[in-house]
Amino acid sequence: MKVLKKRQKPIIEVRNFSFSYGEIDEQRLFNGLDFKLNQNEVTLLMGASGSGKSSLALCLNGLYPEAVEGTCSGDILFFGQHIQEYGKGELTQQIGIVFQDPESQFCMITVEDELAFTLENRKVPASDIRGRIESVLRAVGMEGFNQHKIHELSGGQKQKIALASVLLLDLELLILDEPTAYLDPISSFEFIELVERIQAEQQISVLIIEHQAEDWLRLIERVLVIGRDGTLLADNTPDRLFSEQKQILEREGVFLPGEYSNSPVYRERWNWDMKSDEKVLSVRDLSFSRGKQNVLKNVNMDVYSGEFVAVAGENGAGKSTLLQLLAGLLEPDGGDISMFERPLRKWQENDLRKRMGFVFQNPEHQFITDTVYEELVFGMKLNGYAKEEMESAAGDLMAQFHLKEHRHSNPFALSGGQKRRLSVATVLDETPDILLFDEPTFGQDAATTVELMNYVMGLKAKGKAIIFVTHDMNILDAADQVVILTRGEVAFAGTPNALWEKGKLLFEARLRLPARLRQKQQEGEIYDLIH
Amino acid sequence: MTKQWKLKEIVLMSILGVVFGVIYLLFFLVGEGIRNVLAPFGLAPFGYEVIYGVWFIVAIMAAYILRKPGVAFTAELIAGVIEVLLGSAAGPGLLLSAAIQGAGAELVFALTGWKDYRLRILVLSGISTAVVSFAWHLYSAGMIALAPWLIVSTLIVRIISAALISGVFGKWLSDQLARTGVLRGYALGKELQRKRTYESA
Amino acid sequence: MISSINPSIKMVAVFIPGILLGLTYDVFTPLLYFIFILTVTFTMTDIPIFRWLKLFSPFLILALGFAWMTMLYANQTFSGGDEIFSLWVFEVTAGSFQTGVSVGLRSLCFGALSLMFILTTDSTKLMLSFMQQFRLPPKITYGILAGYRFLPVFQHELQILKQAHRIRGVVRARGIKGRLNQFRRYAIPLLANGIRKAERVSIAMESKGFTGDTDRTHYHRMTVEKRDWLFFALMIGVLLGVFALSYYLGYLRIFGRQF
Ligand SMILES: Nc1ncnc2c1ncn2[C@@H]1O[C@H](COP(=O)(O)OP(=O)(O)OP(=O)(O)O)[C@@H](O)[C@H]1O
Ligand SMILES: Nc1ncnc2c1ncn2[C@@H]1O[C@H](COP(=O)(O)OP(=O)(O)OP(=O)(O)O)[C@@H](O)[C@H]1O
Ligand SMILES: [Mg+2]
Ligand SMILES: [Mg+2]
Repeated sequence: MKVLKKRQKPIIEVRNFSFSYGEIDEQRLFNGLDFKLNQNEVTLLMGASGSGKSSLALCLNGLYPEAVEGTCSGDILFFGQHIQEYGKGELTQQIGIVFQDPESQFCMITVEDELAFTLENRKVPASDIRGRIESVLRAVGMEGFNQHKIHELSGGQKQKIALASVLLLDLELLILDEPTAYLDPISSFEFIELVERIQAEQQISVLIIEHQAEDWLRLIERVLVIGRDGTLLADNTPDRLFSEQKQILEREGVFLPGEYSNSPVYRERWNWDMKSDEKVLSVRDLSFSRGKQNVLKNVNMDVYSGEFVAVAGENGAGKSTLLQLLAGLLEPDGGDISMFERPLRKWQENDLRKRMGFVFQNPEHQFITDTVYEELVFGMKLNGYAKEEMESAAGDLMAQFHLKEHRHSNPFALSGGQKRRLSVATVLDETPDILLFDEPTFGQDAATTVELMNYVMGLKAKGKAIIFVTHDMNILDAADQVVILTRGEVAFAGTPNALWEKGKLLFEARLRLPARLRQKQQEGEIYDLIH
Repeated sequence: MTKQWKLKEIVLMSILGVVFGVIYLLFFLVGEGIRNVLAPFGLAPFGYEVIYGVWFIVAIMAAYILRKPGVAFTAELIAGVIEVLLGSAAGPGLLLSAAIQGAGAELVFALTGWKDYRLRILVLSGISTAVVSFAWHLYSAGMIALAPWLIVSTLIVRIISAALISGVFGKWLSDQLARTGVLRGYALGKELQRKRTYESA
Repeated sequence: MISSINPSIKMVAVFIPGILLGLTYDVFTPLLYFIFILTVTFTMTDIPIFRWLKLFSPFLILALGFAWMTMLYANQTFSGGDEIFSLWVFEVTAGSFQTGVSVGLRSLCFGALSLMFILTTDSTKLMLSFMQQFRLPPKITYGILAGYRFLPVFQHELQILKQAHRIRGVVRARGIKGRLNQFRRYAIPLLANGIRKAERVSIAMESKGFTGDTDRTHYHRMTVEKRDWLFFALMIGVLLGVFALSYYLGYLRIFGRQF
């Protein structure tokens, strides 16, 4: 942890600031916020999912409330001057944001044009632009990608380009909104190192929004916590916050870094052995290619009822593709997939959908109606439920997933975490026999992760088969069976315990040990050092 | 003029241009079908007349959604530019006609002082677009050389297509969109919201 | 090579003949200019001839349609002269035949010009050139480019929407009513998504310091040089030359009038 630098000047001062997506006197998202961000300081912003972190970030650079037709009151000062006094664009050229959703970050087709766009806005002379692009690409480890099309990059690469384009601004403050949510464990680790290096070189202030902040801790000097009620609950150094003000965080359901947390690790919570020998899904010699690229090669796996299977692997390994094949959304090029001993393609579409639930990696892909409520009852309506039945079932789901106040909201206007929960909730209505989830827990806080897992594990206890694609090693640790993909091939299938023994494999698949084992390892190292 | 437009409004026009640019190409196939039937009678170009309204819909939808001076004209022009960018071989020609059609659509809105966006005005605007664009085609496609009855009937088909497809269907589509809530940040969505709060109050 | 000509200049050089040829109703003028366009296309670009033919064929069909219609239905001003042949209730005179061929050729000219332009012009450069040469406001230029960027995305999006409906248990629609419903289920969300993206991308642009200010630097500098003007002079010069020659030889007809 860094030593606090002396006498830092505030770069941002927020005074009695309130904001609302509608009228300010109706529903306020934040209420009377007061805090400062200092020069050359790294601050972490925490808060439950839906507490307004992403919205706050866009208020700080002056784009909200105007861009969303919202309203606000109170003041935000940037270097002592009110942000409304800055000319248009002046502020956004000094405060850069890496958005929560990497898809919303770009406006050009190629990487080079995207980066040049920022520099042109800053009126950088045309002759300097190429050099700057080269050097920023080098800085984020993406040399040679100048002419690549952005929409063809993988999630992790997009995130790096997003960072690069923000670094080209005349940065004073860098805001990162859950930048590692889509990354595999090692990429995420590398991203953090990259930010650390850049912060040290350029001496900028950084505001990080993250649910699982453990890996960021070594660069964080101060932590702010926003409550569900929209007020600032804490403003403290990490050490003091996580030890002295722990109850606040626990009450809000925010993740405590492993070393401070004493909640039971996941595998102890959900280690029910429910596996039966009824085979739900079996995959034989499955292969699939996109154009010339062989995305999946010779995949074999079996899933039994009451089993929880977790699939992991680096970005672009083919996990989502595998899941889509299992759901019958893509046609395999070779091999067979059968459900209950019957090939997928022989199933009637109707029966198949009733017995199998699927959740896309991008939650927005799941949505086909205009309100949260309709989204939840969509399947029930098709199955001819009575009105009261739907009402009560949807009510339960909304309560379970903290969506009650959003009953009439448009699914697309929810927070990142809320969207994720809603998309998961849409398949929980008719309890099929097998559920396929593509990264169902990303963007969740501690409380909602546990609740979501509880719900899903409850289904497992009822004998459903569950498949998760996940980058969260702690969840992998709680699975009955893990399947590791590297470059489209199954590199490992077995129990998590057996996986954690294979250091080389973990390294190659860009995975890490779960928190409980890392901690032990660290303690072991310290123990070794002392003795 | 562009000072009063927000960036998101311009991008919206452009996206409408892309969507209907593609839809127009799809409809083109329908037009071709009709054309093949009519071809032996020398009435092939009629096939395209039937679907002409698709081509004006962008101007009318954009004006109806954004409700600002100059929107109908600019949106149609942008749709023309998009057609060129999409690499449609007819692009440059369409760009030229788009400018003229846009002016036709704008004319009616201008006459109402950009205040009235009821269905009848939208339909009128569609008709005006059809008439103005027809005048241009009399010249550019050499239609002036045709028999008067043919000229008049072509014009009538085009007017009906414009009134129905761009006026009536364009309004329906915009209203459906507004109901989903995506237009919250634009004039049409705001009006809908005002109506709703008024009704619920 | 035409692909390196400044796009704005190229566009004007394509438009002017397109507009002026609308004046002519004789066969000679558009035919001669059409031959000229073909010459330019095949000497100054490297478009493979088969690709060109494939793209040009719709224009050919369109032109035939126009020509045929004009022949059968030309009005009195244009249909003078003797009857050449008759068909069912139609009779085609020398005048209407000539007018029909002329109208057809004229649309071939415009098709060939369009094709030459489209096949040699890069979309992004065209927009940048509009901004730099025609002073198109950056807000509009980049607004259009942002929308254009979504084209490849839409196709992907449609596919996902189809998958989403399957996943959620919506079966394929049958019958006309079902089809109509299906159209609504697809068209509205697709458009709505587009609009949502419009909003997001404009936030992204503004968050990168874009203000719409005309005072900005240009990474891709679009310049106008001597060769651009030479190309312009060539296209327009030959057009005027063709008009003059046609007048001199006594072929030129502007609207129904012989000169
Ligand atoms: N465009 C919008 N229109 C209306 N309400 C919105 C909009 N975006 C977000 N909200 C609402 O504002 C609240 C805060 O959202 P925000 O995205 O800021 O949360 P967050 O703290 O970043 O959550 P997460 O951790 O899940 O990303 C949520 O309740 C959400 O439903
Ligand atoms: N729609 C698509 N078109 C073309 N290629 C694609 C498409 N979707 C994925 N790919 C490619 O297929 C490969 C596997 O992608 P997939 O989405 O299955 O990876 P993943 O393991 O889910 O990665 P992540 O952890 O980033 O979600 C990648 O190389 C990707 O670039
Ligand atoms: Mg967020
Ligand atoms: Mg994936």
